[in-house]
Amino acid sequence: MAHDEKLLQRLTEKARVIRRDAVEMIKAGDSGWIGGSFSQADIIAALMFHQMQHDPKNPDWEDRDRLIVSKAHCCETVYAALGESGYFSKELYKSYGKMGATLQAHTERIVPGIEYSGGSLGQGLSFALGEALAARIDAPKDPSGRPVPRYRVYCIIGDGESNEGQIWEAVMAALHYKVDNLVAILDHNKFQSSGTIEERMNMMPWVDKWKAFGWDTVEIDGHDFEAILTALENTDKVKGKPHIIIAHTIKCKGVPSFEHKNLHFCKLSDEMYAEAVEALR
Amino acid sequence: MKRNYVLEPLGEMKAMYQAYHEEMVELSRKNGKIVLLYGDFPRGAAGEMLQKEHPDRIYDVGIAEANLITTAAGLAGGGYLPFTHCHGIFAVGRAYNQIRQNVAFDKLNVKIVLCNSGMLWPFMGGSHQIIEEIAAMRVIPNLVLVSPSDPVSTKKVTRAIAEHVGPVVLRISNPAVPTVYRDDFPFTLGKAVTLTDGGDATIISTGMVLSDALEAADMLAKEGIKVRLLDMHTLKPLDEEAVIKAARETGAIVTVEDSSIMGGLGGAVAEITAENAPVPMKRVGIKDRFGQSGTVPELKEEYGLTARHITQAVKEAVKKK
Repeated sequence: MAHDEKLLQRLTEKARVIRRDAVEMIKAGDSGWIGGSFSQADIIAALMFHQMQHDPKNPDWEDRDRLIVSKAHCCETVYAALGESGYFSKELYKSYGKMGATLQAHTERIVPGIEYSGGSLGQGLSFALGEALAARIDAPKDPSGRPVPRYRVYCIIGDGESNEGQIWEAVMAALHYKVDNLVAILDHNKFQSSGTIEERMNMMPWVDKWKAFGWDTVEIDGHDFEAILTALENTDKVKGKPHIIIAHTIKCKGVPSFEHKNLHFCKLSDEMYAEAVEALR
Repeated sequence: MKRNYVLEPLGEMKAMYQAYHEEMVELSRKNGKIVLLYGDFPRGAAGEMLQKEHPDRIYDVGIAEANLITTAAGLAGGGYLPFTHCHGIFAVGRAYNQIRQNVAFDKLNVKIVLCNSGMLWPFMGGSHQIIEEIAAMRVIPNLVLVSPSDPVSTKKVTRAIAEHVGPVVLRISNPAVPTVYRDDFPFTLGKAVTLTDGGDATIISTGMVLSDALEAADMLAKEGIKVRLLDMHTLKPLDEEAVIKAARETGAIVTVEDSSIMGGLGGAVAEITAENAPVPMKRVGIKDRFGQSGTVPELKEEYGLTARHITQAVKEAVKKK
């Protein structure tokens, strides 16, 4: 069922704002992770501004849905979504990546709303698995005796990051324990740090791999809000197995002149900054 | 020579993992937040109890130590109190980064049990006998590192770390060890226990070699050398005050451990004495070599961990005073 046009417009606008604010952060910090931060931005917007149950006024609410960004270097659009939600003042953006800043160069739990301190790739899905298991302990049971988890856990992983063996350890265990309140989203932007996925470590076929591990698997356009929302909502209909949404994305999505380029860790020159600001007006 | 808190004669032989589980049964019943996680590892008494009474509080992730540690971190993030169980060599050796990044970095309330730690794991050989766990864990900020010496101290340590809020690494050995302590001995995390007192030298011991150190203290007393014997059950934070006091009051120190002296207890004590009270020292422990198959007595003899080796080291240190 198609979603309300106003909702899709609102999310499109939120995604623009968080990309725009991320540009300011990257300029202020004189470095950043624009490529992966922008490829995941629409997914972040759909989660934070629509799908997830959370409360910026009460970041420690026990039954909040969790967002674990395993590719934790891509922090700028996450920080921007938290700032836009009201978890903290946008004033913090100015100190991003600087000595003594709350907003460090990789997500850290010291930031209100951040669940997971990343930076060492391949680990976030295991952390998300632990959070998802915790939601089932002491949870009420449905008539068939299955626990009704107190919250859902969303975990964004990268395609380059999927080289790490621990990802597949978590994939194996999540199915073994039938953790159906765990939703992984693969930000498949086709690049890793030093080159394309195809050149560095070609992990095709993605869909078949996840299906072979027994996960509820769908493949979508990760910049199409209608597709993102439908995929997220459908995860609630499949019981007894974890979910993976393989989202085809574009590195640096949002600034046309940067798109499809491997701007992984970069500084924004004055010209690049001006281009980005213009594109995200 | 007068002994404090020590059973006379030493009591029942028991494996530390068994003693740990005996304590965990009660703790897990009392504290509904405790979750036991395993990396394809024997359940133990507490695991068997939870499997029956609270199956949603016990998980085994298979032979996947990295996932074991990080899943535990996630459970702590979700408000629970996870204890992980796998061989020490594989927790430290294969999941070092997970312990550092996912547990210690955020001070998450995870208890990592390094089962079968140290050199004195009979039969298994060098691939399984970890000698670097003290050195490797000691340098990670935020961690507490504990190393009990017998069944009674294992139980006391287990209770203390369950109550302590924050990440803890617990190293326990494989073989059955004699019960050294009386049940009523006072235990405080971070405070060394003084088992014997004397002014000629101090033996500082950690882990299951305590009974050998105790035997050495007796042998030395018969030769007229009176030693202070400290059980350093908490390796981090180390009881610096007790070390400095021992150096100043006895003038010579010998450390004893079934792990590498490089960065282990020996290294840790030397760091403190070098800065605060330099005295002659000898370090009894594993000296930059891997382990091998053998019985516990054979391994102690080959790697210089017997009471005789300890007495020799004390005499050499005393001679240099």
